[in-house]
Amino acid sequence: MRRRWQATLTYANLAPFIFFALFPFYFMFVTSFKRNAELYSLKSIPFWIQSGVITDHYSFLFHRTEFLTWMGNSLIISVLATSVSLIIAILAGYSLARLRYRGVGSFGTAVFISYLVPPTLLFLPLSQVVSWLGLSDSIWSLVVTYPTFLVPFSTWLLMGYFRTVPREVEECALVDGATRMQTLWKIVLPMAVPGVVCAALFGFTLCWNEFIYALTFVSQSGNKTAVVGVTADLIRGDIYYWGSLMAGAVLASVPIVVIYVWFLDYYVSGLTAGAVKG
Amino acid sequence: MAVTSRSIEAAGLHGPGRRVRLRQWWEQEHVFGYGLILPALLLLVCLVAYPFGMAVYFSLSDYWVGSPGPFVGLANFREILANDVFRQTILNSFVFTSLALTLKTVLGVWLAVLLARDVRGKRLLRGAVLLPWVIPTALSTLGWWWMFDSLYSVVNWTAIRLGLMNPPGPNWLGQSAWAMAAVVIVNTWRGLPFFAITVLAGLMAIPREFYEAAEVDGASQRQRFWHVTMPLLKPVLAVVVLFSTIFTFSDFNIVYVLTRGGPVNSTHLFATLAYQIGLQGGNLGQGAAISLFLFPMLAMVVFLQLRYIRKE
Amino acid sequence: MKATTRRQFLKASAGASAGMASWLALGRAPAFAQKRELSLLSWNHFVPAADDELRKQAEAFGKQANCTVRVDTMAHLQMPAKIAAEAQSQSGHDLYRAAGADAFLYEHLHANVDDVVDKLGKQYGGWYPFSAEMAQTKSGWKAVPWFWISFPATYNMAHFKKAGFENPPKTWAELLSMGKTLKKQGNPVGIPISHCADAHSTYWSVAWSHGAKVIEADGKTPGINSDKTAQVIEWYKELFKDAMEPEVLSWDDASNNRFILSGKGSWIHNPISPYNAALKEKMPIADDINHHNSPAGPAGAHSAPPILSLAIWKFSKNQELAKEFMQYLFKKENFDAWIVASNAFNHPPLRHLADHPIWARNPKFAMLPKEAEYGHPRGWPGKPSDAVQRIDDNYVMADMVAKAVNGMPTKRAMEWAQDQIARAIKGQLKVG
Repeated sequence: MRRRWQATLTYANLAPFIFFALFPFYFMFVTSFKRNAELYSLKSIPFWIQSGVITDHYSFLFHRTEFLTWMGNSLIISVLATSVSLIIAILAGYSLARLRYRGVGSFGTAVFISYLVPPTLLFLPLSQVVSWLGLSDSIWSLVVTYPTFLVPFSTWLLMGYFRTVPREVEECALVDGATRMQTLWKIVLPMAVPGVVCAALFGFTLCWNEFIYALTFVSQSGNKTAVVGVTADLIRGDIYYWGSLMAGAVLASVPIVVIYVWFLDYYVSGLTAGAVKG
Repeated sequence: MAVTSRSIEAAGLHGPGRRVRLRQWWEQEHVFGYGLILPALLLLVCLVAYPFGMAVYFSLSDYWVGSPGPFVGLANFREILANDVFRQTILNSFVFTSLALTLKTVLGVWLAVLLARDVRGKRLLRGAVLLPWVIPTALSTLGWWWMFDSLYSVVNWTAIRLGLMNPPGPNWLGQSAWAMAAVVIVNTWRGLPFFAITVLAGLMAIPREFYEAAEVDGASQRQRFWHVTMPLLKPVLAVVVLFSTIFTFSDFNIVYVLTRGGPVNSTHLFATLAYQIGLQGGNLGQGAAISLFLFPMLAMVVFLQLRYIRKE
Repeated sequence: MKATTRRQFLKASAGASAGMASWLALGRAPAFAQKRELSLLSWNHFVPAADDELRKQAEAFGKQANCTVRVDTMAHLQMPAKIAAEAQSQSGHDLYRAAGADAFLYEHLHANVDDVVDKLGKQYGGWYPFSAEMAQTKSGWKAVPWFWISFPATYNMAHFKKAGFENPPKTWAELLSMGKTLKKQGNPVGIPISHCADAHSTYWSVAWSHGAKVIEADGKTPGINSDKTAQVIEWYKELFKDAMEPEVLSWDDASNNRFILSGKGSWIHNPISPYNAALKEKMPIADDINHHNSPAGPAGAHSAPPILSLAIWKFSKNQELAKEFMQYLFKKENFDAWIVASNAFNHPPLRHLADHPIWARNPKFAMLPKEAEYGHPRGWPGKPSDAVQRIDDNYVMADMVAKAVNGMPTKRAMEWAQDQIARAIKGQLKVG
């Protein structure tokens, strides 16, 4: 009885949070199915749809814009950039967490400090680098630059995770004649899977949501990412395509939501070790 | 670094004796250590340190977009400090960050405690709470903008219907205090999940025995929270607060979409003002000075905080 | 690390990555087999059909000149970041839609287009001075004026009739007195006093009509602190209090459109996009909406229409082709088709092209071409410059008015603005 009462109390306490978190999303969802006339009517009720559900905004998105291409680009870029960053971060994280050599402490701090560099203007010199690399206006420019903000975080997270792996396990492997690389790859890494998943999720989200690099490094419509494509094509001066914008926002969030629901437990346990031992 | 680059050359040479020696060399702890960190270091040097160095150079010269200018020392910094719009921006940034950070910390811990309880559907609840953090900010902020619109605000519409506000309700984005409230709310909405889930992760790591022991000692729920949970959460909180401080200080999207710094510059943050002056206005030198203004201070905070975290 | 080694390293890695990039981009034909490609960066036109027409013409030109023409468009608020990145990295599109003082800000990065401007000017009876000044720098023409956007008043005839007004206001003073009645009727007027482009388009217009200046004619002396500006501020204060709602303090460029289309507002100062949107969406309010010329003041009628131009980057390898393309867009039949596609939104900067039946045909558009007679570039009576651009970008006048409206003494608000303008001029780009 007491248990049930406690559960009710928990739900009651959580309700405002859930409402706060979900309401804007719900609102965007409703807006994406509304007729424009109703959207701009001062007499309508904002919460629901009175004059009939329409899917015009979605069909506009699919037929008049390259939405699917943008989603595809986002997917390719995010997956590639995240994988590259993870590999780099696994190596660096292991090195910083486990190996003793001169300067290891300052490298660790340097990795963290690079987070402080303000991105608002960083993209200008970075666009020069992208141009030198011959990657302007291609999705590869983003695959190459996204690791700059993914690697520091993933490294830091994985450092914490590697520290939780008992040293003895590694030492046993080394004594048994395994090379250091084998030890890392076959012994330590499997024990750090939740941390890796967590870093991957975090990285994927950051890539998917990134805006300023995606806006400035890529200009062909066919190379745009979902976030940039939706905002760049559906904001027309002083007229906003609210319905389609919201439809795009809803659809562009779906892949990430699915991934998160799937991997949530990993995420939480991955952060556990990373955050506590960081 | 010199050693490792030689190693790359060496890798190109073949021969059995060489190979064994190479492996022995590679298996040394410090060589292996440097070797593993090399890719990350290369990436950070080329794609972070170089642009950052350029940004510092911008801030110290009369640099315009696309056209370098002479070195002017700290003139850009003096110039922006003399401008009351910038001074207001400093104030805004501190108000914005401290408000948003306090809200996120208090609500985040409370939310994490709730989410940690073993109730039915907790997976779903956790997923739902994460949503704001997952949706692209550039798009979700547009949704918020529509919710704060002067004519169609659903917030005002509801509050008026419920009798909480007198019509027409606050002019969210048009009055300084309300506009600041609006950007803080949206930032909190967006950042709360990161706080809550990370703290939740910290909570899960606290061994159950600690609570059981406290319960045996007759500690109340509140006492258990303050004397068991909080001290053990401290390191996690320190890290989350550190990350969040950095992200909140450098926020751009929310303010840019909602108010573009208005009304009367009362919501300008470093990033938005730097964008306005350095990019739209072309004065890259001053823009860089604005965005780098806090760097020394933040770097100091990070340095100290990291030391503190390591000690813990 | 020494500079030389860094450069060597970058060069080496650039070569390696470029090689990798082409390998990764499998399926793309080798460079020599490709047709020449010309690329144009433009904004999302406020009337979408205009972009469709632009792309159609680009394709037609491509067929004729044996090249492909790529037209990329993006939201107008996103353009400054993109253009800055192209200027900084010296790579990107061949030509782009320049706005504001871009021709001055990027003077030495733009190719000279004197020949094109000259030819077109002779062909079509000359350029309107206000549009020409936006592209003519000390070192020559750095852009070809493309089109300008009239900034008339849009009003709701039904609301005016209900309030007993047969005709819309001819002067700003009249707008104030009518606005008082209209607000009491529940249909306030709306001029944004906020961080948005429209706020300044209107401010320049009101200020000039009162004989007030922002910068002196020499382009170097701040000139906003004056009795004339004080009159303007007083007018704004009264309008804000008695004829508008406080919401104008939060407006963006889209808000006044929504304000008039929602049926609440009775009058706004804006291009004709709300009317065009109402037509397209078949909203009944389209019948009630009409336009009239920008009101006048004691010093006559003046307006600050947004002027867009086409600029070629100096780093472009297709400059001649780009010039041909510009001229193609200015062919009479092409430009006419483009005006039609924009439904009278695009105004030609050339006198003869302005004789288009579209304005005469629709009585609601008939007055629009007249706006050209009193248009000036921002900064007038001084020349346009990057400093003027920065004053606009920093929303100095909108903030000045907002401060006064919120209770700051007019004098102090003007002094604040004077200081901001002095700063913008002091930190000016030195060309040379």
